[in-house]
Amino acid sequence: MGRIGLLVALLIAIFTQAAEAHKLRAKGTPVIVADSKMTVTPTRDWNRLSTSPGKKAETWTIDGEQLNDLTFFAGIEAGQPLLKERSKKKDPLPKFTVGALLVDVPELLEGTYRTYKKIAAYRTTSTEPVKFLDRDGVKFTYEYTDEDQLTRKGEARAAIVDGRLYMITFDAPRLYYYNATVEEARAVMSSAAL
Amino acid sequence: MRVFTGLFLRVRNEAELGAVLGHEFGHFESRHTLNFFKARRSSSDLLAWSALLTSMSGSYSVHRSFQDLELAVYGSLFRHSRDQERQADLLGLSYLNGSELRPQAAEAVWRTIIAETEASAKARGLRKPNFKAIAFTASHPPEAERANYLSQLADPAGASRDDGSTRYSEALSPWLPILLEDQVKLNDFGASDFLIENLAEAGWSADLWFARGELYRTRGAQRDYINAITFYESAIKANPSHALAFRGLGLSMIKTGRRTDGQAALSEYLKLKPDASDANMLKLLLPGEQAK
Repeated sequence: MGRIGLLVALLIAIFTQAAEAHKLRAKGTPVIVADSKMTVTPTRDWNRLSTSPGKKAETWTIDGEQLNDLTFFAGIEAGQPLLKERSKKKDPLPKFTVGALLVDVPELLEGTYRTYKKIAAYRTTSTEPVKFLDRDGVKFTYEYTDEDQLTRKGEARAAIVDGRLYMITFDAPRLYYYNATVEEARAVMSSAAL
Repeated sequence: MRVFTGLFLRVRNEAELGAVLGHEFGHFESRHTLNFFKARRSSSDLLAWSALLTSMSGSYSVHRSFQDLELAVYGSLFRHSRDQERQADLLGLSYLNGSELRPQAAEAVWRTIIAETEASAKARGLRKPNFKAIAFTASHPPEAERANYLSQLADPAGASRDDGSTRYSEALSPWLPILLEDQVKLNDFGASDFLIENLAEAGWSADLWFARGELYRTRGAQRDYINAITFYESAIKANPSHALAFRGLGLSMIKTGRRTDGQAALSEYLKLKPDASDANMLKLLLPGEQAK
């Protein structure tokens, strides 16, 4: 009887610890993202997902990451990939290179998406200079079709600060969801500060 | 039975393409999908009834026998899949033997796949793959075995036939830039480099030099940029209006300290393609813009 009680207590402990809830990112409250020095201030409530796609990345969503995906990359160093690699040796991702220029960043995201998602339908649709984190940055848009056969549009802003990459990407299906949320995403990107 | 566009980078002529498509058609003609479904159904029926009888017996030795039976049945199912693949291979080879194309191409397909897999593993610092091993769950026979029986059973009288390589490369050439781009951007350096050199055995072209340049430039080590510069220059020599080659050349030169040369190449790119989607970003790298 005592042993069963111990086992039950152990199982409860395991399962409640493992269940980490998604966190609210409330409207108007500045927050740190991706355990870094970058802060953003959302103009509406977002959800921060409990699982992050990489060590220096964090994902926010409103309706679920397949419908709106706002991902922050903060402080990616030279030699590091954007996302957590499934296998460093057998399935490596493109790395942020030493001496990378802003004009290389769209190619880095493209290579990362194509390799990680195993897709071939990806197109960068525009690349423009922009002010991001109060510095010279790049703003680029893209369109791709993921394994779930859904075509998504994306917009991203990035800057390189002290040799580290800071980037915010927003992806959503091109039908309805992109247009519905892109302005909120842009507001978050404009509010980003180091 | 699906054929992906990546196949077109790996076969070099109509005979090799015919070997692969013949294999797939062999599956269809022998109704392998239906037969495999029936095999799965019979196997799971057997295991379901055996599981019921085992649970009724209440004896450990019967249970151990059941576990042995499970292994045997699953093993036999995977073996069935491998045998179907062998049958499809041989049926496809028989189509080639009776055609006007060279049947020795069937083995060549597998030799290329083996070489590509080795090149990919070598570039990643992985152990050399074993092409003879058969895993318990393997759905296909090992590559070396397939290459062997396909070479032995190819009709020797067909060795002098045309393999259709000229027709194939002419048909492929409008698609080659897109397919190469998709391959290079998969971040598999060894496989991509191997495939580009493989295609270049029929002669280097601007598209192939450009793809090689992109491959090295995107890996981005210092010596890669230096190699990339030579490749882009070769592409430009083969096609002096290859706009993207100037872009890659310019970026590689800037990163190896040849700023002025790089700016000249980027200016040439912008002249050839003034509506480039990243024109405004590249203009920031040019002199005059920086002074602003």
